[in-house]
Amino acid sequence: MASEKITPPVNFYVLILFGLILLSLQLMSSAMQESSELSAMYSWLLLFNALGSVVLLVLVGANIFSLIQHTKRREAGSRLTTRMVSLFVVLALAPAVIVFYFSMQFLHQGIDSWFNVEIDRALEDALELSQASLDQRTRWHLKQTQQVTGKLEESSDSMVAADIENLRELSGASEMTLFSHQGRIIASSSINPGDILPSLPDEHIWLQLRQNGEYVALTPIHEEELMVRVIVTVKTAETKYLQALYPVPVRIADLADSVEFAFVRYQEMNYLRNSLKLSFSLALSLVLLMSLLAAIWVAFISIRNITAPVKELVKGTKAVALGYYDQELPVLAQDDLGFLVESFNDMTHRISQARDETRQAGVEVENQRAYLETILANLTAGVISFDAIYKIRTANQAAYRIFHVHVNQFIGQTLIELVQSYAELAEPLKSIQRLLEQADDIWQQRIAFLGPNGRQELLCRGTPLFSQDGLRVGAVVVFDDVTDLIQAQKNAAWGEVARRLAHEIKNPLTPIQLSAERLQHKLADKLELADAVILQKSTRTIVQQVEAMKEMVDDFSEYAKPSKKQAVVIDLALLIQEVLVLYALKSGVKFNADYGDGAQLIHGDPVSIRQVLHNLIKNALEAIGANGLINISLHRVQKNNTDFIEIGLYDDGPGIKDDQIERIFEPYVTTKVKGTGLGLAIVKKIIEEHGGAIWVDTARKVGAGFIIQFPACNVESL
Amino acid sequence: MRLLKSNNPFCCLVYAVLFFLYASFNAGYAAEFSAEVSQLESVRHGDNYAFSAGVIYHLSDNAKSALQNGVPLFWNLRFKIQQQRDLLWNITLRNDVIRYRIQYHALLNMYRVRNETNGEITSFSTLSAALESMSMVTDFPELKAVDINPQKDYICAVKVDFDRDALPLPLRPIAYVNPQWYLSSNWTLWPLKK
Repeated sequence: MASEKITPPVNFYVLILFGLILLSLQLMSSAMQESSELSAMYSWLLLFNALGSVVLLVLVGANIFSLIQHTKRREAGSRLTTRMVSLFVVLALAPAVIVFYFSMQFLHQGIDSWFNVEIDRALEDALELSQASLDQRTRWHLKQTQQVTGKLEESSDSMVAADIENLRELSGASEMTLFSHQGRIIASSSINPGDILPSLPDEHIWLQLRQNGEYVALTPIHEEELMVRVIVTVKTAETKYLQALYPVPVRIADLADSVEFAFVRYQEMNYLRNSLKLSFSLALSLVLLMSLLAAIWVAFISIRNITAPVKELVKGTKAVALGYYDQELPVLAQDDLGFLVESFNDMTHRISQARDETRQAGVEVENQRAYLETILANLTAGVISFDAIYKIRTANQAAYRIFHVHVNQFIGQTLIELVQSYAELAEPLKSIQRLLEQADDIWQQRIAFLGPNGRQELLCRGTPLFSQDGLRVGAVVVFDDVTDLIQAQKNAAWGEVARRLAHEIKNPLTPIQLSAERLQHKLADKLELADAVILQKSTRTIVQQVEAMKEMVDDFSEYAKPSKKQAVVIDLALLIQEVLVLYALKSGVKFNADYGDGAQLIHGDPVSIRQVLHNLIKNALEAIGANGLINISLHRVQKNNTDFIEIGLYDDGPGIKDDQIERIFEPYVTTKVKGTGLGLAIVKKIIEEHGGAIWVDTARKVGAGFIIQFPACNVESL
Repeated sequence: MRLLKSNNPFCCLVYAVLFFLYASFNAGYAAEFSAEVSQLESVRHGDNYAFSAGVIYHLSDNAKSALQNGVPLFWNLRFKIQQQRDLLWNITLRNDVIRYRIQYHALLNMYRVRNETNGEITSFSTLSAALESMSMVTDFPELKAVDINPQKDYICAVKVDFDRDALPLPLRPIAYVNPQWYLSSNWTLWPLKK
């Protein structure tokens, strides 16, 4: 378990932000109450919430844009997120819109229900009643003042101040002032002795007074008090004006004020009806908008958190599909998805382990295979394996050395298909193919064929391969080139024969010859002429045959003895030139020689090598007659990283028959009437004693051709 | 403004979205109903400077209607005297505010003007008389001549601010976006005569 703590889908800061949004909306709701102290902040709260809505809108827009980009890029989890967000928005939006619609309906109908014609009329009537009441009181005070004025008209100037005092007290006015025509104060009396300056009418009152002769009106003083101001003309010699201020009783003033307050309030509310609807609608819309936007934003965050493990799982699965098994996904929550992620981690861990073990096993198998291949490659025996239908599966390097064919290039093909490219190998390959198909058990067969180096003899051993069910799954063939071994055995046998012949036959020859000569010497004179002639012929024949037998024994002796007597560095080009000079003077045969570039050095016995050349050239001369052509080429070749000096000797004679090519180098094999058949055997023996090889060039179709190779003697090694 | 008076609930959601666009559109709007400072005067009386200003108020139909329906309107008359400096901020010597309130009284059928700064209340039978009473302002606090440096330049500034935040709450959002409620003046400057 990577984490033991269960984490909520949204983080702490998002919850705080969400709380702030709710608080702001609550404050705005409170601010809409007229009596609330927050009402002064209403505009700021409205602006703040509007900005909050814009910020949320930008956040939601950015999230939607990001989601669209991710969906376009087909990123992991984007489609799941889109589906979940769409579902959430639809589920959240549908009820919210329905609630919003009906809330608006109720809100508007509720506000409209506050107002009706009856209340409107009642309040207007109440106000009119108050106005009528006050008007009646005003008119009564006007009449009262006019009555007082009559008394004042009779008052003298000296008594006017005292009369005003009396009249004020009599009339119940709070203040009474007598003005001259010009507006100058003549006398004044106030209920409050502290008031030095009486209340003065303004210009509008004077204008109205001069136009109408009297003025009466309710005048507010201070904030809530009412006063009836009455000014009437005093008809004296000089026109004077008497101003009387009558206080409106507090109870009446309060009642009037209450009626006015209710009327004004109702009128104001009626006036603000549409504004109120708009204001509430705006607040409700903001609440809905912010709530929805905040919910969608939080939904984005929550869904992102929920789908995060799914995204990681998708990424991990893709990585595993691509072969990256070292995936360790973080466990973000301890829920079902967390369990899924843990299971995925376990799975990838086990796959990774299995992959490592498989890789290790593969490496071991590969090492083993490489080891076996190395062994096979270094085997002197050729090894070719076949599948169930005898198609080549593997072949080692020795197979190439033996067949001189890159068998590896024919993997997946049968030996018969190989024959089509290398007709000269038809006989051995067909034999092997036939044996493979026929044999149900281990088989061994000696197969001879004519290779590029002459006759080759292979010892083949085949083993069919079976599965555990007993089905044939292939075969393996191991073959050795035993040509040299057999040749060595033959040479040893012939050497032994030659040695015995030389020993057993040569010894009695001399007494036979001496005895024949003694018979001739003793009996020649004693016999008749005819008999003497017969004797002479017979003894001569005996002596000649003994000589011939001696020569034959000498040849055998020569064949049996080792030829590499005194090894020195020889320049083959010079040696060939020296030999050819001898033959060029004697016959009309044309020699065409190519000695190559520079000295062609070998290490050997010059006498033996010279004998090889003599034997071969003699054979060629005997084959071509008096007017023939002998081509001799000399050049350096490289074979198996070893330099050889190759001599090619070709004539234009009748050539060698095919049935004789295989055995041409064996003793007593000859095409000539006279001859022991040891010439080429000795040549081959000498060459092989020098580490070289000789074979008939079977590719040549005209005359006979021999190819001789001697190990080259490098100048550096001298 | 018919749009804002619509009763369709769905339109209100649209209003909420359009509100801010509309507000920003009207931010730089020079309303035809804005007040204007028509006269500025500074007179030296002995050791003091006295100031007076004349202001013309233009009330829009919406403002008149609101006033007629009992909504009180408030203006703040701002008055500043600053010493001018070339490189640094100006030094403010005087920053006074006179707050006026005008309200219709249905009972008396009168308009009452109250100077909120000194508490003086005056009632008028007509709106024009009430506005005229507010138009001539002479009760700015006097400035002592010793506070004035003869070597320096001084400017006087007057501005009339209509207080939209003092409107009834439902009216405020509209007042912020409706040019009929742009009843304030710009700053009017004039040099102080020494």
